[in-house]
Amino acid sequence: MLSFKAGRCNRRGETNWVDPTPTKGLITLETSAEDGLLHFSWKNRETGATDEDLILFPSEANFLKVDNVTGGRVYVLKFSSSDQRYFFWMQNADTGRDEYYAHNVNGLLDDPSFSPAEPPAAPAPVASTSAAPEPAAPSGSSQPSMEEQLRQLRELVQSATATAGTAAGPELTLTDVITPQSLEPLFARPDLLLAIFPNLPADLPGERNADTIREVIQSSAFKASLRGLQQALNTGLLSNLVISLGLPPEAGTGVGPFLRAISEQAQSSSTENPEGGDEHMETD
Amino acid sequence: MSDESGWSLTESDPAVFTSLLHSLGCNTLLVDDLWSLDDPGLLASLQPIHALIFLFKWLGGEEGEGELQGGGRYDAEFPGFFAHQVVNNACATIAVLNGVFNVPSIPMGADLTQLREFSAGMDPLMSGYSITNSSAVRNAHNALSSSANSPFSIDPSLYDQNEKEDAYHFVVYVPVAAQLYELDGLRRAPVAHGGWEGGEGWLDVARRTIQRRIGAYPQGSLHFSLLAVRTDNLPGMEAELERARGVGDEQGASEIAGRVYAEKAKRAQWEFENALRRHNHVGLIHALLLGLAKSGGLEGAVDKAKGKMAERREKAAKGGSGGGAVEE
Repeated sequence: MLSFKAGRCNRRGETNWVDPTPTKGLITLETSAEDGLLHFSWKNRETGATDEDLILFPSEANFLKVDNVTGGRVYVLKFSSSDQRYFFWMQNADTGRDEYYAHNVNGLLDDPSFSPAEPPAAPAPVASTSAAPEPAAPSGSSQPSMEEQLRQLRELVQSATATAGTAAGPELTLTDVITPQSLEPLFARPDLLLAIFPNLPADLPGERNADTIREVIQSSAFKASLRGLQQALNTGLLSNLVISLGLPPEAGTGVGPFLRAISEQAQSSSTENPEGGDEHMETD
Repeated sequence: MSDESGWSLTESDPAVFTSLLHSLGCNTLLVDDLWSLDDPGLLASLQPIHALIFLFKWLGGEEGEGELQGGGRYDAEFPGFFAHQVVNNACATIAVLNGVFNVPSIPMGADLTQLREFSAGMDPLMSGYSITNSSAVRNAHNALSSSANSPFSIDPSLYDQNEKEDAYHFVVYVPVAAQLYELDGLRRAPVAHGGWEGGEGWLDVARRTIQRRIGAYPQGSLHFSLLAVRTDNLPGMEAELERARGVGDEQGASEIAGRVYAEKAKRAQWEFENALRRHNHVGLIHALLLGLAKSGGLEGAVDKAKGKMAERREKAAKGGSGGGAVEE
């Protein structure tokens, strides 16, 4: 399954103008378990609703970059057998990954059993977090005017300087997020710790307590796993894995989305469970 | 991450080697760190020692094939077992077997027995291939590889540099037919270092040979470690403890009890580390982050982590070395 952030663009009637809408969205390509066919869907990340769900047969469509939009990141889903066009614009903070996503989409559109490739090794992919603003919706048509091109160029320069600080590498490493010091708020909550212990190896000798967890997170095996997870998250291909953790598919697109989704998961589970054995609920 | 041969990267750790041997049926053997060759008390407490494994990383680059640092001469007529290292990731396991297969009367499992019999009379290259192709040995080796136990392949560059097995070279010192032999899977033949006489034993010759070798490198250019393959003495110590208590030797009993306690604590620590190596940590990582979020600490932890990363980048930009590499 492939997922990446993208917004939609509306076409103005029969003209060549497309107006991007600012709504945050997610394109997902997935072979459905129900019908065994490849679905190209667009989910509205603000409402959670899947507003577009297309079933595509092999070689029926292509995902192409619209060249006439200067600096814009507009792509079109174009059908070989009809005039239908769906326009999208990339919302992933790292523009360097656009080609990689497009390449993988086309691979799947040609043959649903295609294995998506990993992004290019250099430069290091930027973890998309709230610090890197999402690019403003570009506007464009197949014949942009001079003023239009200048405006797009200005927008491009603005977004480039905003992301310049993070372009040099990842913003954080998970091995700094999970440390004995950082976990102190968790260690102060024996009720929350109870949920952690079942995730330790069954054959781990010793007692189950905060000290054990401190030792585990400082072990070489745990740290290697943490780094491996981070690296895998950076490929953006972990949607299937994160779903098994009860997270939405976009949590598999990067370290930032992963952490944000967990934050949301924590909030929604405490509101879902008014009688759940959490005595500290009232003080939250 | 495994190479095409299917052998994954593991750590060079006594706990890993010991568990490897036990899973292959060598239940009486242990592999332990040997901190010093000069301490007779230490050596005595670890006896009987059957083989020494010298692992080292020369910071100056690849060692030449022809130079025999530390003396000795090639012996193509070596009567024991010697296998070449044909797969990089298997180098530690090949070294361990080069040691163990040359120790007489060691109990071992059926797979190892068959492997040793099968390779009798083979040249070192074929012996190396036999080991590499043994699924029993490969599976035992991979069982303790963090990367083999994770749901995604881990880039070897993620391992702490000092722990990467393939960054180290392994050499085994073992007595065979009254001579000390040096078995190096990357050399064309075993190296003979002579015999011993008088009050000495093979360990004395080994100590001199290894010290000579270490001395041949410029100061500080060699990272090395020494491991002892020895017979587990815990059952023996416990029997001694029983006897001492039986005859009312309070002092003796408490001294032995102390050693037994220390030894058991070490084994428990090894079990702890090995259990973590075999474990898939993804569920635990998610549970920790979720628990931290519920306790209200996730945002703070993320902010601090970003701060640390920014600091590292600044330091790297000023200092010039190490780049954005994360150190533990």
